[in-house]
Amino acid sequence: MKKPFPIVPTIIALIAASYFIVPLIATFYFSLKMTRGTLSFAAYASVFQSKEFLATLGYSTLASLAAIVMGAVIIVPTAYWVRLKLPRLRPLVEFISLLPLIVPGVVLVFGYIRLFGSNSWLPMTNSDQGTNLLLVFGYVIMSMPYMFRAVDNGMAAIDIATLTEAAESLGASRLRTISLVIFPNVRAAIIAGSFLTFSISLGEFVLPSLLNRPAFGPYLVQLGQDRAYEPAALAIMSFAFTWGCMVLMQAFATKKPGQRWLPRLSRKI
Amino acid sequence: MTFLSITNATKSFGTNTVVKGFDLSVQKGEFVSFLGPSGCGKTTVLRMIAGFERPTSGQIRIDGQDVTGLAPNKRRIGMVFQAYALFPNLNVFGNIAFGLKIAGMAKAETEARVEEMLKLIGLDHLAARYPYEMSGGQQQRVALARALAPKPQVLLLDEPLSALDAKIRVSLREEIRDIQRKLGITTVFVTHDQEEAMSISDRIVVMNGGRADQIGTPAEIYNRPRTRFVAGFVGSLNVMKAKVADVAQRRVAIGGTNIALDWPIRAVGPDGMLSLALRPEALSLTPGDGRDAAFDGVVTHLNFMGSVIRIRLDVAGEPVMFDVFNSPNLTLPTTGQRISAHFASKDIVELSD
Repeated sequence: MKKPFPIVPTIIALIAASYFIVPLIATFYFSLKMTRGTLSFAAYASVFQSKEFLATLGYSTLASLAAIVMGAVIIVPTAYWVRLKLPRLRPLVEFISLLPLIVPGVVLVFGYIRLFGSNSWLPMTNSDQGTNLLLVFGYVIMSMPYMFRAVDNGMAAIDIATLTEAAESLGASRLRTISLVIFPNVRAAIIAGSFLTFSISLGEFVLPSLLNRPAFGPYLVQLGQDRAYEPAALAIMSFAFTWGCMVLMQAFATKKPGQRWLPRLSRKI
Repeated sequence: MTFLSITNATKSFGTNTVVKGFDLSVQKGEFVSFLGPSGCGKTTVLRMIAGFERPTSGQIRIDGQDVTGLAPNKRRIGMVFQAYALFPNLNVFGNIAFGLKIAGMAKAETEARVEEMLKLIGLDHLAARYPYEMSGGQQQRVALARALAPKPQVLLLDEPLSALDAKIRVSLREEIRDIQRKLGITTVFVTHDQEEAMSISDRIVVMNGGRADQIGTPAEIYNRPRTRFVAGFVGSLNVMKAKVADVAQRRVAIGGTNIALDWPIRAVGPDGMLSLALRPEALSLTPGDGRDAAFDGVVTHLNFMGSVIRIRLDVAGEPVMFDVFNSPNLTLPTTGQRISAHFASKDIVELSD
């Protein structure tokens, strides 16, 4: 018997989708109306022509990449060691990894300033490099819940204990086991965590603002106060960027080793 | 000459002692199997040889060197795991070359050795495949090649066939044995499958409760089980209580049948009883061929099992089973019929508890 068309669920899904899509369309439409009387990408061109835009975006990109590398170097061995040797501590480590979701960014940054301010034992805020480093630390902490979860899930998907033993029986030291076996096999998870870290830290406002760093987040807020159309164009671009990250995450997460990125166009006869 | 020796090894996890005073000497090139039920400590002993578990007490020596405290990556051990444990990020070539790369072998030499290993396992056409693109049997053969590639001193096989289907299991175990013989590598194999252990081992260690109950050749283990556990675990067995009639004359009574034993009576219980065992295939419907004794009993069950028919008798209250080969000319007894089951008294073995 043929099933009847699910009318009610479809209507609910459409209403829910319109809740997200309508404002997006409205914002996009608004971003195209910078030139009076016509629809154009003038707002987008204006954004790209701004030196401040490129400088802040470049700064935040660099800081985010540094946070990704630092996060991966800290979190991958930690998650590995906890799963391998200290499984009983996993709930505690998981709880610690979730703390940044509970502790607001403003608390974190004031803590930093108190601990590493000019009158502290390690006055990191006295120099630009020191403050930049603090910002990266902050990004690492804020993205920890996402990075840890992604890496931990990646490790759950492979039998790390047996793979470690297999590598050791073949003569590999613990360090080489991590670098040659564990890292490559949780690569998809690290990349997924990296994209999440990137999308969180790129537009982050509180940390760079309170640390007085020329990052993209404060620029966005400033632009929103000064201009009308450009913030709408930036919002659409951010949205597209986030979706791009999601697509890449999905692509990396599902790609198997040795698999081609694209199907072969021609086949040998 | 002893190549691998384990002396008085004990392993405890907290208050739970899983291996108790385990001793074993393995000759160079020997194939030894650890056989026993789950939780008997066989895998723990294997892991102690590999270095993944450190003995609580005792000593492990390989080729004269004390390796008890040596890290696993320094032992030159090849190990094959039940779950294959191939590195998912590497193809077949990369997996086999892994140990060679770690050892710092030159590229050309590595390639030649990998080719050699691939030929040995008959998978030289699959060098570029990844583990997820291969069957379980193929993956396990690659795991074997990977373990053998760096020329280990000892090969350890931790239930390598358990995850495979029955047909592949039989062919792969024969392949493993052939390769082991060809390379002459000292091998320790862990299994809970008695048929597997019987078919490929030089010697079997039957383990029970963290101890080696019996160590012997497959024939010794099967034909002369030393304990009730070994007798029960390896094959089917008639375990019978016998009343000692005359110690000097070696005479006992089983279910009213008097039998003269072939060996001197030693372990008589306080109730004057002995534990004896007899394999079902040692009994026959006909006398001759050295069968000097017989049980008279009533047929209670007939189980047709294809090439073999199992007959169960009631011998004055004592259950006895035996097997006869099926043939077109065979006249089978019927249920309730009184018959004689003939056997050689030398085939009766004494069991300790």
